[in-house]
Amino acid sequence: MLQNKFIPLITALLLFTACTKKLESINTNPNAPITASPDLLLRQVEYNFGENNSYEGFVAGNVLGQYFTMVDFNLFDRHNLNSPQYGGKPWTYLYSNLRDNENLLIQSQTSAVSKVYEGPALILKAYMTAMLTDLYGDVPYFNALKGKSGITTPGYDKQELIYTAPDGILDNLEKGVTAIKAYNGIQTLNGDILYGGDLSKWQMFANSLRIKCLLRIADRMPVADKLQAIFAEGNYIKNSSADAVFSFTDGPPNNFRMATLRIGDFDLFILSQTMEEIMNKYTDPRLATFYRPTAANPTMYKGLLNGQDASQTSITVANYSLSGKIFRETTGKLKANFITSWETSLLLAEAAQRGLITANDKQLYERGVQGSFDYWQTIMPATYLTTGAAAYGSTGTDKLDQIITQKWISNMINGYEGWIEWRRTGFPVLKHVAASLNQGIIPVRMPYPAEEAALNADSYAAASTATNGNSVNAKVWWQVK
Amino acid sequence: MIKFYTTALLLMLCIYASAQSTIISGTISDKADGKPIAGATIVEKGTGNGTSSDLNGKYTIRVTNGHAMVVFSSIGYETVTKEVTENAALDIALYASATGLSETVITALGIQRDKKALGYAIQKLDSKAINEVKSVNFLDNLSGKIAGVTITPGPTGVGSTSKITIRGEASFTNNNPLIVVDGIPINNNTPFNVHSEAASGFQGVDFGNGAAEVNPDDVQSVTVLKGPGAAALYGTRASNGVILITTKDGSNTKGLGVSFNSTTTIDKPFKLPQFQNKYGQGNSGMFEYNDGLGGGINDNISYSYGPELDQGILIKQYNSPVTLPDGTVIRGGDVAVRGNASITPTPFISHPDNLKDFYRTGVTSINNLAIASSGDLGSFRLSYTDLRSQSYIPGSNLDRKTAGAHFIFKPIEKLVVTASASYVNTTSDNRPANGYGSENVNYALVAWGPRSLDISPMKNIWQPGLVGIQQYSFNSTYFDNPYLTLEENTNSLNRNRLFGNVKAQYFFTPKLSLAIRSGIDYSQELRVFIRNFSTNRFVNGAYAEQSLYYKEINSDALLNYSDKFGAFTVDLSAGANRMDQHAMSQQVQALNLAQPGVFSLNNAASPLEQYEYLSNKRINSVYGLAKFGYHDFIFLDITGRNDWSSALATPVSAEHTSFFYPSFSSSFVLSNAFRLPRIVSYAQLRASFAQVGNDTDPYQTAGVYNGQTPYASQPTLSEQSTIANTALLPEKISSLEFGTDIRFFKDRLGIDATWYNAKTVNQIIQLPISATSGYSQQVVNGSTVHNKGLEMVLNIIPVRTRDFKWDANFNFNRNRAIVGDLPAGTQRLTLGYNRIYDNIDQTVYVQVEEGGRIGDLYGTGYKKTADGQFIVDANGNFIVDNTLKKLGNYNADFTLGFNNSFSYKSWRMDFLFDWHQGGIVVSRTLALAGVAGQLKETEYRPTDGIVIQGVVNTGTDANPVYVPNTKAISAESYYRSYYDRNNEENSVYDASFLKLRQVSLSYSFNAERLSHTFLKGVKGLELSLIGRNLFALSHIPHFDPEQMASQGNGFVSGVEDMSYPTTKSVGFRLGLNL
Repeated sequence: MLQNKFIPLITALLLFTACTKKLESINTNPNAPITASPDLLLRQVEYNFGENNSYEGFVAGNVLGQYFTMVDFNLFDRHNLNSPQYGGKPWTYLYSNLRDNENLLIQSQTSAVSKVYEGPALILKAYMTAMLTDLYGDVPYFNALKGKSGITTPGYDKQELIYTAPDGILDNLEKGVTAIKAYNGIQTLNGDILYGGDLSKWQMFANSLRIKCLLRIADRMPVADKLQAIFAEGNYIKNSSADAVFSFTDGPPNNFRMATLRIGDFDLFILSQTMEEIMNKYTDPRLATFYRPTAANPTMYKGLLNGQDASQTSITVANYSLSGKIFRETTGKLKANFITSWETSLLLAEAAQRGLITANDKQLYERGVQGSFDYWQTIMPATYLTTGAAAYGSTGTDKLDQIITQKWISNMINGYEGWIEWRRTGFPVLKHVAASLNQGIIPVRMPYPAEEAALNADSYAAASTATNGNSVNAKVWWQVK
Repeated sequence: MIKFYTTALLLMLCIYASAQSTIISGTISDKADGKPIAGATIVEKGTGNGTSSDLNGKYTIRVTNGHAMVVFSSIGYETVTKEVTENAALDIALYASATGLSETVITALGIQRDKKALGYAIQKLDSKAINEVKSVNFLDNLSGKIAGVTITPGPTGVGSTSKITIRGEASFTNNNPLIVVDGIPINNNTPFNVHSEAASGFQGVDFGNGAAEVNPDDVQSVTVLKGPGAAALYGTRASNGVILITTKDGSNTKGLGVSFNSTTTIDKPFKLPQFQNKYGQGNSGMFEYNDGLGGGINDNISYSYGPELDQGILIKQYNSPVTLPDGTVIRGGDVAVRGNASITPTPFISHPDNLKDFYRTGVTSINNLAIASSGDLGSFRLSYTDLRSQSYIPGSNLDRKTAGAHFIFKPIEKLVVTASASYVNTTSDNRPANGYGSENVNYALVAWGPRSLDISPMKNIWQPGLVGIQQYSFNSTYFDNPYLTLEENTNSLNRNRLFGNVKAQYFFTPKLSLAIRSGIDYSQELRVFIRNFSTNRFVNGAYAEQSLYYKEINSDALLNYSDKFGAFTVDLSAGANRMDQHAMSQQVQALNLAQPGVFSLNNAASPLEQYEYLSNKRINSVYGLAKFGYHDFIFLDITGRNDWSSALATPVSAEHTSFFYPSFSSSFVLSNAFRLPRIVSYAQLRASFAQVGNDTDPYQTAGVYNGQTPYASQPTLSEQSTIANTALLPEKISSLEFGTDIRFFKDRLGIDATWYNAKTVNQIIQLPISATSGYSQQVVNGSTVHNKGLEMVLNIIPVRTRDFKWDANFNFNRNRAIVGDLPAGTQRLTLGYNRIYDNIDQTVYVQVEEGGRIGDLYGTGYKKTADGQFIVDANGNFIVDNTLKKLGNYNADFTLGFNNSFSYKSWRMDFLFDWHQGGIVVSRTLALAGVAGQLKETEYRPTDGIVIQGVVNTGTDANPVYVPNTKAISAESYYRSYYDRNNEENSVYDASFLKLRQVSLSYSFNAERLSHTFLKGVKGLELSLIGRNLFALSHIPHFDPEQMASQGNGFVSGVEDMSYPTTKSVGFRLGLNL
């Protein structure tokens, strides 16, 4: 009797204990996959980087580049770059996108069916790395992104090596082109929101980017031969149809991020006096594309000097221009910009003007300006390029200033490009901010984030020493002037 | 050998007795309630002859003919000795032991134990302690009543989550005690909605914690098992202690009993911020409203640095009248219909009570009806409770209906079947959003509520003719009309929940039994989020639905054998448990709506966004428990348990899933062993050593790729930023505990003290790593925490006469969790943080460093000298210092709950004080409303400015020379920089408080007294006046010092993040027994 009753109990106990096998499947995450197909990674990197970089451009790059000034919460505008209110910390999204891109690259190099992704992944790697090092100078690169292999405190690499060494930016761009040329498989490039999988355009992207990177280090290295060779080959972005861009939409989820913020956040950004003066000098109608007239006077565009101390100065927003509808109401017209034909034209114009290539700089300049007006969906006045301050080489103008300033205008929301090119060329002339928190000096690099000092202490110590204590006034390697 | 002789002797006695013996039989019952006592011991004195009572208290024993002395005894009762001379039916009623020396308590796995046999600390509350002054959140009823238990109320009024910790926080990741109802765990989670930390999208909303829904009216007792020693048998989830809740059953009710309990309270905000009322909206002394967007003078900002109030000046304001050409009068803020019509200026006056008047009077009523009965076959109790709470926050409420049932069924002599269940339906029309941001009205009314603001015109929410389309608000840049936020833009809730269990216990013999039990906690919930057009965060409206599902099933079996060998008692148990947990959350949202005022997913004007999360977990366990006793004065318990947790399995291996832990505990009752001085009525020493493992949440052992924002409706994937750990180990807590329970003067003075020292190793750490590695954190095992503390419970009865009794009870706790070491290369580790939006510079961090305490808060402040003076720059301004400084610790240095109970004849008065000494709270209200110039502290605004009390460095950084600062800055600059939200150091308060937690004054009528009234036949009636959170002494002028903030999907203690005031309640209670 007693024994009979024990049998079910013992059976029950065995059932409880014997089933540990199933624990594996119970702890298999049902919400997300453990692998990712390459098209989903490529779309992620392109969209996420482009979206972040455009938002970052609006809230931080445009402030540092003096397109906008902020009227409150503006420590960043006053050049305390450690305390931005919005954006101002591109480190994180640069590395996370480099990580996803690295996973794509590794997959393309280890799986034959993913081979088609190798070229684009190499080009994107070079693109994002250039942005990273241009902002910060020396950064972890060659040993970065290897957390899963146990490297969690990678050393900081010299910018010179990041640009020029094997597996560096320029090398990867060449390898990217080679990989695309060598590709003869049947798989198509999917998930590509820049080019819809058109590999020939990726080669143009790579070559345009090579031009940009060579010019960026041109004060340090002889680059003329390489530039001339690329120019001669002619396989770079010449037409807007090959622009590496994607469009935002009017509504969520792919609208520009400023469209979803509250109106108060949007209204913090007003026209910078620097931009106002330059646009007025050019009588440039793009002013009306980028900004809206003052609330007080619907025919007037008015800017304010950057870096006001909001607790000392009462600023009536109605007297200043806010940013334009394209950034909020009609973001379907806005594009996330990787690299374009107008940028390439203006880069080549500079190369020609400086004698680095043999080409007609005026023609390239004018093509670039026209491209920019087209890009910003603004009609260029018929006399824009012939009379007035924008006419190439007109009296009292510096051609290089004209080229770079045109690029600066068009680089609106393109990350930190306007400010980066100012650091390289000194154009356009930026203003000293009203109430500087950086001894009246305009910063020339972004500071490493504070977390690095805590999480990557030994490596950071050397990098900090090399930048005079992580100073925003320490020039990066390529900046000579 | 001994056993052989005993058996032989017994046999011989039996043979002898059969020839010549006396048989007595009867029932053993409790004198107080008549309830049968099972397992009582019946022994013929001086012989080895003995037996036990069965489940129904029945016994039969043959004793020596003539004059046998028979001893009846049972745990918790006074022993009775009877002389028996002839065959008889002898029913024995035992008195509960008057000394309290044999208090029975429920321990792990629902086992009833004699408290004196326990080698670890345990504390019990009876139903009265829980019920007298009820709080809507069950956990709040425990505040101040149990040494070592800390309850922190949530920040959004009635329906908020309350956080509970026992003996402080010793784990980096999981400090939640296990909540058990009638032997089965219930969930105490707070699942948040999918929300955004940026200044856009939905804010986080707290829909309440699981244990809030336990119904006090159904609770018979609450027992708190404080340490791992007490909890080892519940396994991994009991590592932070266990709250054991026993619900009422009908077994005490003779015939049919009906009881009715009703409580109604009036609820008010406990404390509101103290404002300045001298300066109104504006900047640099100037203000004029035009469109609330910057079209006027400073009408886009909400600082109160505007013109002086009550000076008789007229200013255009948002509620100033506008006369349209057709003669219609509208308000200045009716911008959409105003056209070019001008605003007529109105007096710029102060509104000192604008916030006070914004809140309404809350009302909470709880009505409970229960019927119960018992009979030969068992008993039942059915109960229904209706709770309705209208919050003092406009638009917010909580309704809860609870049906409870408890059955005990004894179909045959050896079988007892019990079933208990609660069905709970909780609904709310609106749960206010947490934290800093425009979905919390404290953002618009406290932080940025200008002191010239008259709030009440906004009760008329819409602009004329634009109902549901265009709100009317005092400022249109960031701030929504607060009535729109609370009454129209709602976060509603409807949750159905069932928890309960069925248990069958079969007694093969009185000594051997098997219990099988299965219990469930099941809930399903729908939340609906509505946002109207023109809402700042959702210009085109929004709509979201979130469905949640939770199911946990626990099944266990426990085999028990107990026996007695002379002076030894032995009790052996073995059991097994399986826990299966499934949770699901699904949120679908439309962030743009087509038609205003239509809230449905069908009305989406942009692609629907969908979030889904499933979670599964299983823990299999086997355990054994051996209890030994000798002569009723020395006891030893040994337990062992092995768990297999799925959370430690990887998708391909279960290698690390198994973990074993033992416990040993011993009790030595000195007063039973030795003759102690007469004043000592009881003395016990106890010691225990226990280990418990603490596992983790599912899916920490393998990395995945997560879907991100799709582009053109095509999917994307990004690798998770956490590096998973494929060889994760459970945290292991080893706890040593010593305690004593000494009572004097016939128990009129009792001290129960416990010292514990627990060491936690293998903490599961989300270790932050450099973003340059490609990842932001890594799951690792490491670090040690030493958690030491002292608990003391002091019970005194200073006065006891026939009519008057004064009972006092003190609960003291002091706890320190010290971090022993951190993973190599880690100086400080972040355990949590609270942040303004997603801005990392505006963050209060909960961090630990070696030698530091858990609960240390860090933030930034301005540059200071070594001796703590501000260093100001040459212009007289503060200097930003971006290094993190330790601000203090959020835990109290000690806590003392102090309960007094006075009874005089039928009157009874109770009051409970709660004293928390030490600890800090970082206040966003102080920082933001300080920056904005709203608070009393900012009223002093001399025209020649304010000189910062500090020094200027006239030397170098290396060799500073400090001279006192003499440069003044404007008052506005001063306050805007002093309270700047980037600098948490200046918004820290000492969180110490002494609070009058609860008060009650009651009068009870007994049946006899009522028999002379129209209530003849009523068995009892009790009327009480009650109050809760009536008053506190504290350093903080603006809010209740008991604070926590939400961040992400959890809570952070020690931060006040624009919280709603806590509740102060007074009311009336009626209890009726028929």
